[in-house]
Amino acid sequence: MSNRRFARTAGWLALACLVAAGLLAWYATRQPASPFAQEQAASVDPSQVSRGEYVARLSDCVACHSLAGKAPFAGGLEMATPLGTIHATNITPDHDTGIGAYSLADFDRAVRHGVAPGGRRLYPAMPYPSYAKLSDDDIRALYTFFMHGVQPAKQPNIPSDIPWPLNLRWPIALWNGVFAPTATYAAKPSQDALWNRGAYIVQGPGHCGSCHTPRGLAFNEKALDESGAPFLAGALLDGWYAPSLRQDHNTGLARWSEPQIVQFLKTGRNLHAVVYGSMAEAFNNSTQFMQDEDLAAIARYLKSLPGDPRRDGTPWQYVNADTHQDIPGAHTYATRCASCHGLDGKGQPEWMPPLAGATSALAKENASAINITLNGSQRIITAGVPDAYRMPAFREQLSDEEIAQVLSYVRSTWGNHGDAVDAKAVGKLRGHTDPASSSPIILQMR
Amino acid sequence: MELRINQKAYQVDADADTPLLWVIRDDLGLTGTKYGCGLAQCGACSVLVDGNVVRSCVTPVAGVVGREITTIEAIEADDVGKRVVAAWVEHQVAQCGYCQSGQVMAATALLKHNPAPSDAQIEAAMVNLCRCGTYNAIRTAVHDLAKQESA
Repeated sequence: MSNRRFARTAGWLALACLVAAGLLAWYATRQPASPFAQEQAASVDPSQVSRGEYVARLSDCVACHSLAGKAPFAGGLEMATPLGTIHATNITPDHDTGIGAYSLADFDRAVRHGVAPGGRRLYPAMPYPSYAKLSDDDIRALYTFFMHGVQPAKQPNIPSDIPWPLNLRWPIALWNGVFAPTATYAAKPSQDALWNRGAYIVQGPGHCGSCHTPRGLAFNEKALDESGAPFLAGALLDGWYAPSLRQDHNTGLARWSEPQIVQFLKTGRNLHAVVYGSMAEAFNNSTQFMQDEDLAAIARYLKSLPGDPRRDGTPWQYVNADTHQDIPGAHTYATRCASCHGLDGKGQPEWMPPLAGATSALAKENASAINITLNGSQRIITAGVPDAYRMPAFREQLSDEEIAQVLSYVRSTWGNHGDAVDAKAVGKLRGHTDPASSSPIILQMR
Repeated sequence: MELRINQKAYQVDADADTPLLWVIRDDLGLTGTKYGCGLAQCGACSVLVDGNVVRSCVTPVAGVVGREITTIEAIEADDVGKRVVAAWVEHQVAQCGYCQSGQVMAATALLKHNPAPSDAQIEAAMVNLCRCGTYNAIRTAVHDLAKQESA
């Protein structure tokens, strides 16, 4: 190749790169379309404020954007990501530090598409891949609530500690292009209204998949609706195993009736289980406030998701056990656990959950079993009243070895067939988890 | 609801999830059973339900309807309980005494299930907390009772 031809080729190449970079810059900072772009702020309808408050309950905004004892929605919750720590932002209508300057279209782009004014991309810790499903009406009501139902609070956002170049936001636009669909929920005509309402809440505002759907290598949820088998199939997140919400006998909801699902989400407990771990927060702040018909819709939808026996294993059945075995795990169980959970493992439903047949004792992932034993459960607060019973933390009382022994006993007794627990796994979780607070925590929305 | 406590029937008006301890102490005035931690950790509230030791602070009252409840007030009506209390007196176990009704319950339940427990079994079963530190006296008394049985 002659020098001139080389120079010409290099020139074209450079130009192509420049154009590509320009296109990328445009793509990665562009404002997505919003149906509200031309909309002027209308006068405030008080019923819209309370409707928006309900959408905020369904969406559990408060769980991340509020801290106990601080101004509602002023942000601050610390979230560990693989790249570093980020903090939930101030979403009060404060003009300087909150979202007071947001138009409805700005708000829509942030909530449904993860794009802040100016084109900056939000981290998908904000569950906009789910919120994308929210209806226009719900977005408008939510905006009205945040602008007129929430007190402005001046509290600057805390910058993330993610180092350069990992803190560049534009690559998220590419991630979004692959993993974050932008369409609102479209009702399935083949299903009835109840099912569709349930699908809408579960996939959209409820963002159940954020915890319950396994994630891929790019930290993307492997499915965002029932068309994908991994949807709500159970996932490990933040030291907890969020169980399957599909019709899996052992690790899912196959043994739960629709009224039992409703009762669980409404009161935090039923014959099978009591909320704990991250679900206790979801219950305290969100599900207990859902209307009965919405809970019924969720139950109907979840019961329509088929299980997978290959993933779930042999169906559990209760087996009588010799409760006086002379092994360390059995001794610890008899003295530390049986007061509440019973020597027969059947618990005291619906106040103290059974361990016989419990998901935590059947799932391959043992994180929830270890975590709840080390750290106990936080207070369940129903209608403003803290519950009488909660799981205490055993981290100061039992060694890694003792916890491994007792959990191995629990996971292999009464027909349970989870794997044995290794003391090293207990030690690992002990190192990066904290005991649950024994004080009731109530996050206010107003 | 009707509860059977110490061979007597009591009519009780309480929410289903009320801890048995509150019913025993506050509604029925049987105050020998003590409140310690409220979390089934210390054992001060131990009572017997159908001969098994149960921490009444974590026992919803609805769950014990129709079952036989024994509290410290009637433990000496039970043969094993009577021997335990006698050993407690002989070894002068109690100091402040707050945890001792629960300790007696735990020892009674152990010996009812296993009249001659091994040292390890005693260690494993007698886990109630005592802030006076009477553990040595408790251990001596229970070992003594276990020995009487195996002799």
